[in-house]
Amino acid sequence: MSDAIKHLITEDCKKSCNDISIFSELANQVILVTGGTGFMGKWIAEIVSFLNETENLNISLYLLARDTEKFKDEVPHLAAKQFIKLINQDVRNLHDLPEEVNHIIHAAGTPDNRDHVSQPLRTLETFYKGTNNVLDAATRLPALRKILHVSSHTVYGKNTDEAYIKETYLGTLEVNNVNHIYGESKIVAETLCSIFRNQFKLPITILRPFAFIGPYHDLEKPWAINNFIRDGILGGPIRILGNGSTIRSYLYASDMAVWVLKALVNGQVGDVYNLGSNVPISLNDLATKIQTSINPNIEILSKSSKENYSNVSRLVPETSKTIKALDVQETHTLDDAISRTIVWNQLNKK
Amino acid sequence: MLKHILITDSTLRDGNHAVAHQLNAHQIAVYAEAADKAGVPIVEVGHGNGLGASSMQVGLSLVDDVTMLETARKHLSKSKLGIHVIPGFATIKRDLIRALDIGVDVVRVASHCTEADITQRHLGFVRERGKEAYGVLMMSHMASASVLVEEAQKMELYGAEGIIIMDSAGAYLPSDVEEKITALVNGLKVPVGFHAHNNLGMAIANSMTAIASGAKLLDATARGFGAGAGNAQIEVLIAVLERTGYITGIDFYGILDASDLAEKEVMPVVPTIKSESIVSGLSGVFSGFAKHVTRISKEYGVDQRDVYRELGKRKVVGGQEDIIIEVVMDLVKNRK
Repeated sequence: MSDAIKHLITEDCKKSCNDISIFSELANQVILVTGGTGFMGKWIAEIVSFLNETENLNISLYLLARDTEKFKDEVPHLAAKQFIKLINQDVRNLHDLPEEVNHIIHAAGTPDNRDHVSQPLRTLETFYKGTNNVLDAATRLPALRKILHVSSHTVYGKNTDEAYIKETYLGTLEVNNVNHIYGESKIVAETLCSIFRNQFKLPITILRPFAFIGPYHDLEKPWAINNFIRDGILGGPIRILGNGSTIRSYLYASDMAVWVLKALVNGQVGDVYNLGSNVPISLNDLATKIQTSINPNIEILSKSSKENYSNVSRLVPETSKTIKALDVQETHTLDDAISRTIVWNQLNKK
Repeated sequence: MLKHILITDSTLRDGNHAVAHQLNAHQIAVYAEAADKAGVPIVEVGHGNGLGASSMQVGLSLVDDVTMLETARKHLSKSKLGIHVIPGFATIKRDLIRALDIGVDVVRVASHCTEADITQRHLGFVRERGKEAYGVLMMSHMASASVLVEEAQKMELYGAEGIIIMDSAGAYLPSDVEEKITALVNGLKVPVGFHAHNNLGMAIANSMTAIASGAKLLDATARGFGAGAGNAQIEVLIAVLERTGYITGIDFYGILDASDLAEKEVMPVVPTIKSESIVSGLSGVFSGFAKHVTRISKEYGVDQRDVYRELGKRKVVGGQEDIIIEVVMDLVKNRK
């Protein structure tokens, strides 16, 4: 990791951790993150590393994932930290967790919809069996204090009406459509959470993430902002595929990780919180922002099956409940998030 | 508002089927230059079955992929250089990287119409390299509209910037095209395209039905030079599109000149709808089988039409060329 990248990540952590007195409650605690080597796991590790170094909190972190070797290759500076222990394990085959664990962040399972449509059965299995195994193992943990289940906005189904999606929103999912397997699987996983909370009194809180952007977010993932930035870095054209009026919002990576850790402390058992930015932007405007940030001469192309759309897809969370209950705020603007992501990727290429 | 249609000229790829993959470098050079001069947006070049497909199984190319692509690249200045890629024939490491390094601009990653899953890595790789990537569903008459939509949606997620369905057997009637293209346009975010074959004399009519149903991408070839009964004839298609108010950016006289040149320099025989092509189309057999069926049927003295009917019953697909000999041997056995 170059000094420039290290500096960028440290600056991000510093900015997002502007109000961290609450984290004293995590001092000397042991947190286990399933799917711990992914985007969310890496950022939780960065924030915990920052907190341990600046606040001397002595938080220990178990990162559980199928391929921990990849983590060692991708982020050797994190893999070398004494407070991080890696567990090479597929949640589908998990039986027991380390007894010392106090907090679980269950984030296993990829949100990459290419994998969902190519491997729908494995997707369902990961969320059903994986969640069942984690929660079952959690019932045997003597010092367990909180489980944070990382669900998904896809449980809300289709939304074309609501400007901002509340935690109580009930959209529709086409059960007969293989593209909706991720949302269906996440609903099954939330149902399991409800069962284990009710029957076994496990202290479970649910987060429903929307879209994020930032360092460690693979630009090859099939999401508009990632692909726009990749196209821009490659010199363009930036390609808008589908309806450019589609509305999304993006929470910056380090803010996301701080919100997750604050949910661990402030989240109410049995409650559900949206995790995302409430600042909407159309894909057309997003492409223009990225173009401006990289090179205003880059071409933007729109490719769409239709000339006119009767509905506009809109995925923006209502976050007032999250902000108040978890005591969080967005510290990075979208412009800031875009420019820092671009810089990180450019530095990482060198 | 005038609607723009993006044309891919497959003369130097699908046409290779018509000559058992024996197009030479000179033919590629002269036609590429003429197509470029006419303002054809995308010129597709290669073995009939695409990159890396030269083999005993589907036929050996006269010239290798590198020579074909380098030759075309040298003679294209405005037109984009396109290739057809079927994962399995073409691998990323052995074939695709080299092709992109030569200067290929557009990669159309194809699979049988129910096997889009195999295209994920290839489509992803092309997008990673910043090139244009399209998904192609071949033999699309073999799947229902709803299955085609599901498979096309996978390709869209994998990174395809447009989805083209191929009437590889020339089996469609306009009503089939309308049903399938309409379903795809409604089910996808990215533009939809159509690649016609002319076994039932429907190539132009089917192409026009496709755009009337919402397609924005069409394939065509000079004089219809392509597998089996050939494709939609590009010079006719451009004329009809102009007449009906669509724009393609292709100069009409330029494409007429390119087609005249292709007839003289590229094709030994201008494609016609032969009797066996009609049976092939009705039976829904891949047009790329035509040369193999003719050769093997002749060798064993069986009626090609019977071979096509049996191949249709067995629902064979591109890449299963070895079934042709099996069918012929069964016919010989039953004759005795």
